[in-house]
Amino acid sequence: MFLFGRYPVEARSLIRVVRRLSRIFSSKDNSEARSQRLLRTWLTPEQRAQFDAKRYFDVIGCDSRKRYRIYYGTATNVHEIDVAGRPKVGWCFVPDGYLAAGDIMLAQKISLETNEVGALLIANRFPIELSRRY
Amino acid sequence: MFRPNARESSMATQIVMDHTGDTRHYFDAKDAQALAKAEERFKELTRDGFTAAVRNAAGDVSRVRSFDPTAEETLFFPRLVGG
Repeated sequence: MFLFGRYPVEARSLIRVVRRLSRIFSSKDNSEARSQRLLRTWLTPEQRAQFDAKRYFDVIGCDSRKRYRIYYGTATNVHEIDVAGRPKVGWCFVPDGYLAAGDIMLAQKISLETNEVGALLIANRFPIELSRRY
Repeated sequence: MFRPNARESSMATQIVMDHTGDTRHYFDAKDAQALAKAEERFKELTRDGFTAAVRNAAGDVSRVRSFDPTAEETLFFPRLVGG
């Protein structure tokens, strides 16, 4: 009441802004939510189940048949996995531009499954030891 | 937003990843004019470095380098860069 009485226009304006921001960040239709839905649609049933349970999914490189693990994230989130199931090396490559995590992960999946050599030529290697995931 | 059910019609979709998540372009694959517009969009995006991909019912994906008028859904993502 105090706010409305003293600063009626400013307070209402501020409330409108706060409500709008709240809607944007809590919305199920923001870019992150949309990218997650798109990602889930394009995953195989096995990858979807793995992602739902562990927040990562595995893909097989189309050229080498190596296994890669794509973690939820927007950078340094692709790890090559050795035959024993341990992380071997990290590969950092992303689609250009400002994309949400789900979109980035989907582009990484498609690239490794359809053009592994091309993706790795662009990617930067990084040692897994530097990653916070292990 | 109106989102037609592809199973019930000849509507196809081109999905372009962007900062909003994605932008979807729906078109009637039986409409020659709409098809031509979709093909032009495909060419523009791939010329700009976007990768185009389609998937089958099992979820297996494949890259496409030319416009497929029979594809129900085509996904485009920007060129890759090293992170």
